Amino acid sequence: MTIRFLRNKVVEVEPLPDGDLAVSWRLTDDLLKAEVDLRVRPPDLEIVEATATLERLPLKQWSSAPQLIKKVEGVRIGAGLRKIVNGLLGGPERCSLLAHAVLEASNAVILHFTRPGIQLGEKLEGEELIAATRAMLKSNPRLVRSCIAFQDDSPIMQELEL
Amino acid sequence: MITFNRSQLVEAEFPDDDTIRFSGVQEDHIYSMEIGMDVRIADGEIVAIKGLMKRYTNLVCPAALPVLQCAVGISLREEGWDRRVMREIGRNGCEHFAEIIIECGRCFDQARMSKEMWEALQKDPTLNQERFVESWAEEHPEILSA
Repeated sequence: MTIRFLRNKVVEVEPLPDGDLAVSWRLTDDLLKAEVDLRVRPPDLEIVEATATLERLPLKQWSSAPQLIKKVEGVRIGAGLRKIVNGLLGGPERCSLLAHAVLEASNAVILHFTRPGIQLGEKLEGEELIAATRAMLKSNPRLVRSCIAFQDDSPIMQELEL
Repeated sequence: MITFNRSQLVEAEFPDDDTIRFSGVQEDHIYSMEIGMDVRIADGEIVAIKGLMKRYTNLVCPAALPVLQCAVGISLREEGWDRRVMREIGRNGCEHFAEIIIECGRCFDQARMSKEMWEALQKDPTLNQERFVESWAEEHPEILSA
């Protein structure tokens, strides 16, 4: 059976020579082509620049997207981000697509920082792995109960004896 | 160089007049997962779901597969459906499965509009597509929240 709709979405993180992170978010589907670019500055992960373009057949209610996206400049990727971004960009009267894009781009920044630790952990076993996992949860307490692996009754959490 | 990439692919087919069938794939440097789910068009209710976990970070992750069945009965039309999916499928199971379900759900109205525009274009190749989208959105304001 032929499909009647197809959406492709890609988000990429690229460290720049000056230490900033360039985050590119792209969406293309049968009706919409959207691009959001963020420039994020460590160490506090402030969004210092944000641009957006919507093409193909965007809803007319989203026509202010290139101006609207500027509202996230100055926002920091951290606690409370979802509420802040949804407040600035979300809801039917603004552009929920932009809110999703910024949150997904921000999540990609977090995963950019998470990836090296996960790769290091792949080489560990036994007590070393337990110690590394314990250290990871200590530095990222939000992970606790964030998914089935880190629920109280999971074998990982029981082994950690936090 | 690129230090993190996440790609999502969502496909929609219409196996019958009442159902939209989504296939969603999420691939990134760390995780790789797939979701297949059927949604009843009339009320947006998820009526069937299955998942495939291809790359994950620890041995507990596959235990999230049975949790997926908690998505059956959730409606893509109910207020806060995406937060409910993240809470019930993400926190109790796997947040990456939840992310794919949510992306499929956000495509619900776009896919319906795409199908209807295709059919309209078969009847009238000169159809004004901008006007079609505008009119469709007026008749289906729920698309603004997608």
